[in-house]
Amino acid sequence: MASPDNLVLENITLCAGQTRVLNQVSLTVPLEGITLLSGRNGAGKSTVLRACLDLVRPEKGQILIDGLPPGMACERIGYMPQGLSDAALMIPAISHVMAAMDGARWGVPVRFGQRKREAERLLALTGALSFSKRPLGHLSGGERQRVCLAQALAGQPGLLLLDEPLAALDHDAQQQIVALLVSLTQTLGVSILMTSHETAALEGKVTRVLALENGELHVRI
Amino acid sequence: MFEFEFMRHAFLGCTLVSVLAGTVGWFLSLRRQAFAAHALSHIGFSGAAGAVWLGVSPLFGMIAFSLLAGLAIGSEGEGRGKIPPQRDSTIGLVLAASLGLGTWFLHEANGASSMATTLLFGDVLGIDTPTLFILAGVTALCLLGLVFLGRPLLFSSLTPEVARARGVPVRLTSLGFMAVAALACSACAEVSGALLAFSLMIGPAATALRLGLCPAMGLLVSVLLALVLSWGGLMLSWITDIPIPFWIGLGAGIFYGLANLWTRLRTN
Ligand SMILES: Nc1ncnc2c1ncn2[C@@H]1O[C@H](COP(=O)(O)OP(=O)(O)OP(=O)(O)O)[C@@H](O)[C@H]1O
Ligand SMILES: [Mg+2]
Repeated sequence: MASPDNLVLENITLCAGQTRVLNQVSLTVPLEGITLLSGRNGAGKSTVLRACLDLVRPEKGQILIDGLPPGMACERIGYMPQGLSDAALMIPAISHVMAAMDGARWGVPVRFGQRKREAERLLALTGALSFSKRPLGHLSGGERQRVCLAQALAGQPGLLLLDEPLAALDHDAQQQIVALLVSLTQTLGVSILMTSHETAALEGKVTRVLALENGELHVRI
Repeated sequence: MFEFEFMRHAFLGCTLVSVLAGTVGWFLSLRRQAFAAHALSHIGFSGAAGAVWLGVSPLFGMIAFSLLAGLAIGSEGEGRGKIPPQRDSTIGLVLAASLGLGTWFLHEANGASSMATTLLFGDVLGIDTPTLFILAGVTALCLLGLVFLGRPLLFSSLTPEVARARGVPVRLTSLGFMAVAALACSACAEVSGALLAFSLMIGPAATALRLGLCPAMGLLVSVLLALVLSWGGLMLSWITDIPIPFWIGLGAGIFYGLANLWTRLRTN
């Protein structure tokens, strides 16, 4: 599980609808530890993360993650989108995690027992094991967020892109998740690129801050 | 009742269709495409009307038309993460367009109104051996398709955005699934008619989903319920002489009501 070293933006122009989120940005950032992508509402943080996953294409320029274009790096990246999905709320939480483990392969599922144990391990890691058998729609926002985090961890990714993982969590839960993220970077060598408005909870835990403002991206340590 | 060949055929046909309706219907309900199931079978009706006009087998017209419509429905745009916001309206428009065509076909094929009734309400007691073979073929094809698509389809139904980020070809999967669903709807319409084809698809599946089961159990329960509904409906219609769609529709409602009650009692 070699963690991706860096994120390279080569003269990127990135748009979301009419909004120009990145305007001819060139930048190389090492991604070890936790990198916080900050900016006000609507600055384009989510759009930048989605561009790193090939979910939106830049108008111009190229993104490289560990030397690979986003489409080819996607197997090693775990993603947690912003906000709660409204799909398949009647399916138990654990099935959501299990589906993510081998969901990119065609054909019949195999090794059901092994996948179940692995899913339970991930759910225990994010503190979601106790409600993992309940349908997703019967969980609170914060509980669902923990399930989504477990889902992002499926498949042993080297890089996690987390869009607002601390939103909707109470103070204790924020501390727990931040501690979990820090331990993931330390024990497994996972790199994390995340957005968050909860700067207080992240105080002292972040390796680097990327500030997104008016189409420009600046590195602050 | 099994001494009659048409009853044996009817039971076999119901079995095939139930396995198909249970599995395809579960995915359709999971993806909140119940409306698509309804639309596809009606679109199939238009195709069948066209086939009658052209003098070919209605089943082929049905399959061809609903396949085309399935692809049109499946090629919806991708929303941001959630279920595409235009899903309902796309289906509605495709349905409206093809029903319009269907009316014209029926008008051209005038005098075929008894045919239209058969298409709308199905003719489970009139299944001949060739039709049974076609049904078996369609069922096998659909199940193979589902087995192949299974994992990406489940993943992209549960969390479309994450699936796409992990490199699942979500749109291709959706197209493939709509092709399978179109075939399945045509097969179901052959037994319970275009008007009620979706009752066998949606009733058991909605009940299984209401119970909050994991995918494997949900699919199993959905198929079992579909079998109970169609076999039960067949026997009851034999005894009471009321058409089978009535019993299937009624049973679907009752099953869902019971599942609702059970889940409520359990959570309280
Ligand atoms: N599909 C879309 N069509 C049109 N405009 C869009 C679309 N998606 C995003 N935008 C616009 O692009 C801009 C950036 O959106 P984005 O979601 O990336 O912001 P963000 O920094 O993540 O905000 P937040 O802090 O609220 O999550 C916003 O002004 C938004 O209105
Ligand atoms: Mg955002």
